[in-house]
Amino acid sequence: MSLEQFKNRNVGTQNYKTLDVGTKPEKGMAQFVQVVQRTFKGELFVGLGVTMKAMLKALFANDMATIQYPFEKLPISPRYRAIHEMLILLESGNYRCIGCGLCEKICISNCISMDTRYDEAQRKEVSEYTINFGRCIFCGYCAEVCPELAIVHGPRYENASEQRAGFSLFEDMLTPIDKLNLQQEYDGFGAVSPNADENIKQTPLAY
Amino acid sequence: MSVHNSINTGKPITLTIDGKTCQSTFGKTILEIARENDIYIPTMCYLTKVKPIASCRMCIVDVEGVDGVILSCQEKATEGAVITTETEELYKERQNIMTLYNVNHPLECGVCDKSGECDLQNKTMEFDVDTQIFTTRDQHRPVENWGHVSYDPALCIMCEKCVRVSTEITGDEALQLKFGGYSSTIVNIKKEKNYASLGEAAAVCPVGALVDTNFKYTTNAWELEKIPSACPHCGGGCQMTYEVKHDKIYRMTNNFEFTSLCGAGRYGFDYDNKNVSKDAKAFAAAVEAVKNADSILFAPQITNEEALILQKIKEKTGVKLISGEARAYQKFMQAYAEVTGKTLYSGRLKGISESKAVIVLGTKIYDDSPTVKYHINMASKWHRARVAYMHPLEDLEMKNIVTQFIKYEAGTEEGVSALLVEMLLREIDVPESVKSFLSDLDIGNLSAESNVGEEELEALRKSLIKKSGFSLVVGSDLYAHPRAAQIAKILALLEKYADFNVVCVPPAGNAMGVSLICDLDDDAEGLTVGYNVAADFTLSALGDGDLDMPALNQQEGTLTTNDKRVVPMNVALPYGGYVLNDIANALGLNAEYTIEYTKALPADKGFEALEFDSLPDYFDTVGTEHRGYLLSEQETALNETLDEIAELDGFDGAIVYQCNPKEQFSAFTSKCEPITEEVFLSGSKQFATATKLSDGESISFIIDGVTFKRVFKIDTSMKGTIALNPCYDMGLSAPLVSSYRFSRLEIMQENSKIGS
Repeated sequence: MSLEQFKNRNVGTQNYKTLDVGTKPEKGMAQFVQVVQRTFKGELFVGLGVTMKAMLKALFANDMATIQYPFEKLPISPRYRAIHEMLILLESGNYRCIGCGLCEKICISNCISMDTRYDEAQRKEVSEYTINFGRCIFCGYCAEVCPELAIVHGPRYENASEQRAGFSLFEDMLTPIDKLNLQQEYDGFGAVSPNADENIKQTPLAY
Repeated sequence: MSVHNSINTGKPITLTIDGKTCQSTFGKTILEIARENDIYIPTMCYLTKVKPIASCRMCIVDVEGVDGVILSCQEKATEGAVITTETEELYKERQNIMTLYNVNHPLECGVCDKSGECDLQNKTMEFDVDTQIFTTRDQHRPVENWGHVSYDPALCIMCEKCVRVSTEITGDEALQLKFGGYSSTIVNIKKEKNYASLGEAAAVCPVGALVDTNFKYTTNAWELEKIPSACPHCGGGCQMTYEVKHDKIYRMTNNFEFTSLCGAGRYGFDYDNKNVSKDAKAFAAAVEAVKNADSILFAPQITNEEALILQKIKEKTGVKLISGEARAYQKFMQAYAEVTGKTLYSGRLKGISESKAVIVLGTKIYDDSPTVKYHINMASKWHRARVAYMHPLEDLEMKNIVTQFIKYEAGTEEGVSALLVEMLLREIDVPESVKSFLSDLDIGNLSAESNVGEEELEALRKSLIKKSGFSLVVGSDLYAHPRAAQIAKILALLEKYADFNVVCVPPAGNAMGVSLICDLDDDAEGLTVGYNVAADFTLSALGDGDLDMPALNQQEGTLTTNDKRVVPMNVALPYGGYVLNDIANALGLNAEYTIEYTKALPADKGFEALEFDSLPDYFDTVGTEHRGYLLSEQETALNETLDEIAELDGFDGAIVYQCNPKEQFSAFTSKCEPITEEVFLSGSKQFATATKLSDGESISFIIDGVTFKRVFKIDTSMKGTIALNPCYDMGLSAPLVSSYRFSRLEIMQENSKIGS
């Protein structure tokens, strides 16, 4: 087999139609006339009319078609995986994080690092917790593995920074106690499914 | 390791396990034979190093022709038995056991320290227990803090492993069962600091019930890098594993199935020389100092390779090598070898644990070498061995295993050894020269001088009749004794003629390796360089010398253990400075790394020419030790002439005994945070009266040129006029204290009184 047949691209029967596009004017004057004719067609004013209508609506009817980023942002899907947040318990205001270390273990880009300690109440407490956002690939495994829904992905997606390594501490990601009422339950990756109750087997309570 | 392995009558048997024909010997249990043949039988409570506990029933098997199930952990296999380890019923039974273990077991795996290495977790998964069909009322069981270990009864599965190790291994019987059905718990009856038993208990605990308080909740097991190594403290070289994260040692673990660690091994890991960088100026000064030195003083806390480097430096520059304790041990063993004709003592630790009688002479063994004490304890617990403890001081902590305490006067060790040997060799055929030496002994005089009653020895002799398998453990009281060579020769007779399993426990550190590798000298002279010893120019791994050196957890190399084994140590923590090998290279030796000397260790002393990286470091499934290699015995020239017993030079008045407490061996252990304790000169009330010292009085005295400033404390458990003086806290001066361990207390005049 020779190479020739691969080089021949006119395989099969072609059935092309040629459009009548007229002829291109050759003289300078004729070219100028064509430009003017094409520029000042009636459709121009249709377009300008649409623009004018939108402008008047925006100015006087307060009905904007665009949003004013960065002052305004579009709502984002709960499944979007952006900068992490650390949730706290609504009832007590304590951290949800129990320091189990699963997020650190599962993190495939090794960007989570944590230290824990034995606290005064004989509980395990996180003493140090950092995420290196220069390494984080926002895969969502940490939120999925978290047994307490403590680490979740929030909606903050602006990660531009001046240098590649950008660390975030536990306290930075924690819901501020005065904004507790604004804390949203997470519906994204790893959250409890809507029919979770049906799936949980009851433990016997014979006494 | 395990002793119940060895009580086999040796008759070969053949049996079939799961269709596989297994050859073994009568006396072994079904489980042991299965493990020898790589057949898996699940267990929860089985711990190889103690006798079968038989509390979990997971190891059940079917034996053809026998109704019901058999506990394979405690049932000895018989000839021709056909055994099935896996059937549908056995699986269901085991699954039920796991389900019951999980009743009310707190679901806190997420924070539990054991998570990831938990037997309960593993077996729950293995037997697919995903639902709980049983229930009972939960009870309030708060966490108990036992000091450096805490106990959570809610997590405890009552496997009894901890109770067994504190009884059969460490031997202080601190942990006991409190029966009460579902509310059974473990109780700790020794409230004072108890590093060894609690540490061992936490190590063998299959769940998170017993956990080191310092380690608790600090990290997850799987985050730690495991670095296998050997413990450098007492000379036992026990197997251990550094668990490291972020250049910090979080904890020590060991292969608890087969070996044990004492408190110093388990909690004394925090002695590294921190934040060292290369100081070229100090290094140049060090090279110059070593070049010009007349003597190098060094502590025995070094590796075999470093000892060899020092020896090579000696061969190059003719410098004297001084290491007090190691030198004394070397001379003792040389004299010992003149009688036995072999470079090493015959005994092994396993031999001690298998003997029917153990005689301890010249050592406060529990403090000097805890692992040896554990083996004596095993002998006592497994074989009801007679334990004769001969020492000027009674050790109350060994009271539960010592069957006869024979007290002698400090300084009379030569006479005591002669009396002991005369008594033990009375009915044994010995050559004429020995016989005449023994019959020429003035028993009455020796007995009067040493204060060892003839009836005491007679009682000991009677208790040994009709027994076989004896061990003799001798320790460092004898090595620096003025008559050490004679004592060594006398005691060597027991090994040679009475077939004793003799262990001459080396002093702390790698004294045994040093004594084999280096040609040591007696006295220092001229300009001195010290390696972990204060001198004109000091190389120090303690961080306070003229040039920094790496501590033993920052360097690789081998150690020689009291079990006559050469074991590898690996680097646990980083070190940025110069090492001894750099100095040696600057002096014209040539080795890129210190471990290049491993293969050059002297073959005429029993070392093998093996590369460091080829040394094995593991235990196989039945617990046979494959760590490094065993030293081989070398023949030496015989010289059996025994001198006459010298005039026994007893002490009168107040005596100080150099003795470090249990968890302390050297300046390195004294750096370790978890095992720190206050240092006192502790003596009895009688001692206080004799010396007119009052409790809390601070005094100073000099031993071997080292000035001790001590607060005197009355210890009501002690008797007699001997006080204990630790020297581990003396830093770079500690290794200088190396003469005979008993000395008269001579208080210096300018003592100030505080508290009185």
